[in-house]
Amino acid sequence: MSEIAIRTEGLSKRYRIGQLRRHPSLRDLLEQSIRAPFRALRRAIDGTHPPGDGHSGSASRSVDTENFVWALRNVSLQVRAGEVVGIIGSNGSGKSTLLKLLSRVTRPTAGHADVRGRVGSLLDVGTGFHPELTGRENTFLSGAILGMTKAEIAHRFNEMVAFAEVEKFIDTPVKHYSTGMFLRLAFSVAAHLEHEILLVDEILAAGDAAFQRKCLQRIANAAKEGRTVLYVSHQLEQVRGLCQRSIWLDAGSIRLAGPTSDVISHYEEALTSVPANSTG
Amino acid sequence: METPLVRIAPAAGSLNLNLLEIWQYRELLYFLIWRNIKVRYKQTIIGAGWAIIQPFLTMVIFSLFFGMLARLPSEGLPYPIFYYSALLPWVYFANALNQATHTIVEHQHVIAKTYFPRVLLPISAVLSGLVDFALAFVVFVGMMVWYRIMPSARALALPLFLLLAISAALAIGLWLSALNAMYRDVRYALPYAVQLWMFASPVAYPSSLVPEGWRWIYALNPMATVIEGFRWALLGQGWPLGNSILGPAAVVFLLMVGGFAYFQRVEGTIADIV
Repeated sequence: MSEIAIRTEGLSKRYRIGQLRRHPSLRDLLEQSIRAPFRALRRAIDGTHPPGDGHSGSASRSVDTENFVWALRNVSLQVRAGEVVGIIGSNGSGKSTLLKLLSRVTRPTAGHADVRGRVGSLLDVGTGFHPELTGRENTFLSGAILGMTKAEIAHRFNEMVAFAEVEKFIDTPVKHYSTGMFLRLAFSVAAHLEHEILLVDEILAAGDAAFQRKCLQRIANAAKEGRTVLYVSHQLEQVRGLCQRSIWLDAGSIRLAGPTSDVISHYEEALTSVPANSTG
Repeated sequence: METPLVRIAPAAGSLNLNLLEIWQYRELLYFLIWRNIKVRYKQTIIGAGWAIIQPFLTMVIFSLFFGMLARLPSEGLPYPIFYYSALLPWVYFANALNQATHTIVEHQHVIAKTYFPRVLLPISAVLSGLVDFALAFVVFVGMMVWYRIMPSARALALPLFLLLAISAALAIGLWLSALNAMYRDVRYALPYAVQLWMFASPVAYPSSLVPEGWRWIYALNPMATVIEGFRWALLGQGWPLGNSILGPAAVVFLLMVGGFAYFQRVEGTIADIV
């Protein structure tokens, strides 16, 4: 039995609603810092309930809980080294949040995850690319930001450029690239990560059909080399072709986990039955 | 083959400055500095000439208004070199602080997509300004020749004052970059704060103008010591502040420790707030 690459226990992430859009101003900070002692005082007088206690009748507390949304709630899963696991679910089901937590972009609110091996996050195409720099310069910059060493990048440089099919333009600033060229080079850098664990988020939505096939092949190869891949996608066909096992996330929790064909068929069934339920 | 085990958990709340991690990511730090330098003057006509024009033009203006019109004292030094010797560290400091403050917000896209120690961003912002400093310094050497001022052995102490300026920029930059990620008020307040700070430092006037009873508190401003240090080391003037470098160094050290702690507290949630 191979070793566990990723193990999460009760992994949860709570966002404050509006946190992503609204920036608190300095006035809010001052207001908070003036109010905080009073609130602490009141809590000390109330004494009995810890914050977040569901039985509290206080109005301010129920507002507090309404202002939060759990993007991921109590997710426990295990992924063995060398497995390719698909993650499916509708928009807002927590797929991206799960990858963000595992790639350490953001911290969990509760629970934890143990990750064995270097994690490469392919959450985006062109992470760290700068339009003014040339293809060559961006390859090194983006590679370094994604976690490759300079030696690794230099070692695989020709391979990356050939994969992206941009040999002729490698010393041209990428702001002069066509969209396709840009996406190919950007994906190529990410696709040559030598990390033991790859977190892939719908990156293959980029490029034309031929290049997409190439990218899928690349991920399949990564798996054959014994690396662990978590693959988030809405393209169920891609998941079916790539992943032995899949996890279906629904409203931040695991709805079903198991062999990909089972999970996908249940998922599709649920998708088609939703309108039936709402009309009937 | 090494397979490190990483535990991802909610913020622990204790300060553990992960110097080892910064060391492990030194190549990325190098790439970020290199990128900053490479990109800074892209699509400008004058290019790196801006590194020289900024302090040089300010020097000309100060010489005209504070020098020839207002006739402020300059410790017996020609006005141009008196001002330029102060603008050399000051312009570096002001630019480094500015770059560091904006770096987190400017990198919000990268921050949302991949992990690396976020603290590399303000560090690289502060260090990449040293190239501009070096260019401006070449002009200073030319001015020394023009005014026939021979540096003494004191010039060897210059790196010490430069180090103090770098540390001060990083210490404040850590605070402001994290604060700016949460409160965009910082970006509007910063230009005024920097300007006020300049007048609280002996850039446009000598420290000897400060009443003696106030000098000890004036000397706690690290940039006052940096600027007087530059004049002392390069131009052979006296030490009007009469303080030890340890006072401002301690101030910078405390600001730096606090800055790292605050930055680290914010770091885990930066991706959620920028």
